Amino acid sequence: MTLGLPGDVSRDSVSRAIVHAGHVGAWVYLGMGAIVAVALAIGGAPKGWIAAGLLLLMAGALCVVAVRRTVISSVLYLVVGGAVTTATTVLAMQSTHDLATTDNSIVAIPCIALLFIGGAGAGSWIAGFWVVAAYAVGQAATFVGAELSDAEYRVSAAATALAVFIIIIRTVDGLTRRSGLRRQAALVRANVAAREATARRDHELEAITRLHDTAMEHLLAIAGAGSGPIDDRLRSDIREDLSLLVGRDWIAKHSAESDDPASSSGFVDGAPILDQAFATAADVELAVQMTGDLAVLGLLGGHRAAELDLAVAECLRNVARHAGVHEAEIILGNGGGEVTVAVMDVGAGFEPEHVPATRRGLRVEVIERLEREGGSARVWSAIGLGTTIVLTMPEGGA
Amino acid sequence: MRAARLAPQDLDPIIALSSSSILQHVGGGAACVTAIALTAAHWSEVESPLAAIVAISLVFIAAISATRATRPSRAPFTPERMWVIIVFGLGAAVAEYLSTVGNNQYVYDDFGPLVIGILMVSVAPYCSWTTLLTAGALSGAVLAVLVAGAPSPTWADLPISVVILVFIAPTVVASAAAAGYSWAIVHITLAWQRKANQVLLQRDSELRAGLARSQDHGRVAVLRREVLPFLASMLTAERVSVTDAARARQLAEALRSTLRDEIATTWLSDLAADLERRHGVPVEVVESDTAVAVLHDDQRAALTALLNWLAVGDRAASIRVDVAREDTELTRARVVRITVGAVLGAEPPTRRSIERFAAVARAVGLAAAVSSSGQNVTVEFRHGIS
Repeated sequence: MTLGLPGDVSRDSVSRAIVHAGHVGAWVYLGMGAIVAVALAIGGAPKGWIAAGLLLLMAGALCVVAVRRTVISSVLYLVVGGAVTTATTVLAMQSTHDLATTDNSIVAIPCIALLFIGGAGAGSWIAGFWVVAAYAVGQAATFVGAELSDAEYRVSAAATALAVFIIIIRTVDGLTRRSGLRRQAALVRANVAAREATARRDHELEAITRLHDTAMEHLLAIAGAGSGPIDDRLRSDIREDLSLLVGRDWIAKHSAESDDPASSSGFVDGAPILDQAFATAADVELAVQMTGDLAVLGLLGGHRAAELDLAVAECLRNVARHAGVHEAEIILGNGGGEVTVAVMDVGAGFEPEHVPATRRGLRVEVIERLEREGGSARVWSAIGLGTTIVLTMPEGGA
Repeated sequence: MRAARLAPQDLDPIIALSSSSILQHVGGGAACVTAIALTAAHWSEVESPLAAIVAISLVFIAAISATRATRPSRAPFTPERMWVIIVFGLGAAVAEYLSTVGNNQYVYDDFGPLVIGILMVSVAPYCSWTTLLTAGALSGAVLAVLVAGAPSPTWADLPISVVILVFIAPTVVASAAAAGYSWAIVHITLAWQRKANQVLLQRDSELRAGLARSQDHGRVAVLRREVLPFLASMLTAERVSVTDAARARQLAEALRSTLRDEIATTWLSDLAADLERRHGVPVEVVESDTAVAVLHDDQRAALTALLNWLAVGDRAASIRVDVAREDTELTRARVVRITVGAVLGAEPPTRRSIERFAAVARAVGLAAAVSSSGQNVTVEFRHGIS
């Protein structure tokens, strides 16, 4: 499980949740209002049926906003809500019950439901605008209703208090959100960092355990044998274990060489060194941590190595431009007849399926470049979790 | 845990921590102001000033309880705390009813249902939607009994169901809105987490595969570069020399001690080394055993977030992490204690900001305590293990 939401996702989700809460509150309020109207109708006030129908109509208009929160649906809700408020005011003030002014619990129902509009767009200021607009429409509609029914107009205290309450909540939420967003991003990155540390730890432990299991017995046998000819059985066992551990090709090379650690990579000098990639990283002030041996690039032909180098450079450029971090990691390796370079960051991340067609960097400079040489690129990314791009290039080539 | 029982704070402690500011600044204050303003507005209906004062006092107690219960230092917020707050709110509603009994002309200006509703909205980030709906329904039932038993001449011509619905509407609507908020946050967060977990698993997989392909095994690599070529050289050698035998003994001992060291250290050591490399702050990890390995992902993230935060921006001059396993008084129960001690740097953090990390840790099941003295700050985490 991951902990929390990344900042960008959280900003949007909290905003959506507040809007959803308002809609639920409005539906319940309008529903209760409709039940009140029906109860009054059954109790001998037939106009209650009309009021119930109007309130349900308003609830339906709010459904449209909930499904498609656009400017048009929001304005439509204000228009319908305003009309319902006027009609409800007229019905309430012309009823037989003694409602002294328009500041009463019946007229307040559509006025308050209007305030829960939510409205198109995101952010505290936009939300505040819709609340003010809804409040103005509600009170104007109430005034018109009062005029039509010759009743005394008075501002709805409940609607006014609620409008102020919502605006204060959205304002405080907006002001406190900034620091919260930074902490959220840090927490999500910490999650990734902890998993990475665990993966490296597991890997190192596995490596030393394998080395211990395979090499210790042979080392002790050699140490215990003292000077003298090597037993053929021991030689055979060493060959078998080394082939399991590092492969027969490696043995073929090393059994004929000295045990100089410097030459253990087995590649000649002059191999490609990702010079374009590191130059790009320096240009964009990106610190690059590298794991693995650059010498594996020697398994590629010159042209392929250069193409891979350019692809890695493009990946690093993208990290600097879009990830919002100053650090990236490169892991080099080879296996299965391919050279692999993984470029990883724990930056902002993105949704690969939503990359616009106009953004050509990754597609043209990385994916298509590798595919021309028979290679491939896999992209894993999510907002807030960073990006992993795994580039593979078949060994050999021009 | 089923989604219906999840609260936003369970999935996103930061949302809850941010929300506590809203509660402290707005929720409690709004409840108190509402109680005072509406009492003043219908003062002419008040028959018992003492009951009115008690009602307002109970609102203050409920607001203070809510504010204290949601403080980061007391995280996580439990449903029991919400019920305490609601009981105080209902007590205020009853006291208000007693203050105007027999002379209550309008239910529209009674603050009891409003105050309960405001408090429910305030604690929405800490409660599951089912708890909030249950609280709303039960509070509504109590309020309904209250208003049904308080006949007034002004309502005599109205059906009692209408009076009840109008009276309880603020509480029911607010609880529905609060439940809607809680439901939406939980479902949005779960949806994102499903996707994020896929990406994280893939990232882990690519990282592990990349490390395996790279043949780069960190500290083991150096030893590996010596051991393997030495064994390979034995394949073509005719004889083992005295030097070879000595070299084999030396490598065997190095291999054994490296394995011992690797087993004795954990991901925390690697993290510390990484922080030291990147930020230049000395991070010492003293592990009496590998108990820290039992922490699950979220707990590791909480600890990592604190260490990372202390290591950047000159907040700490040096950091020391002590990990120890301790027996408890309970049979077969043990705890792992992780103590993060930092010597503060040029830009020392406030205790309040450190408390937020402790609150995050508490949200993921770690007991956490912060203490500071002059130039040092210490955060102690404890986690029960079997």
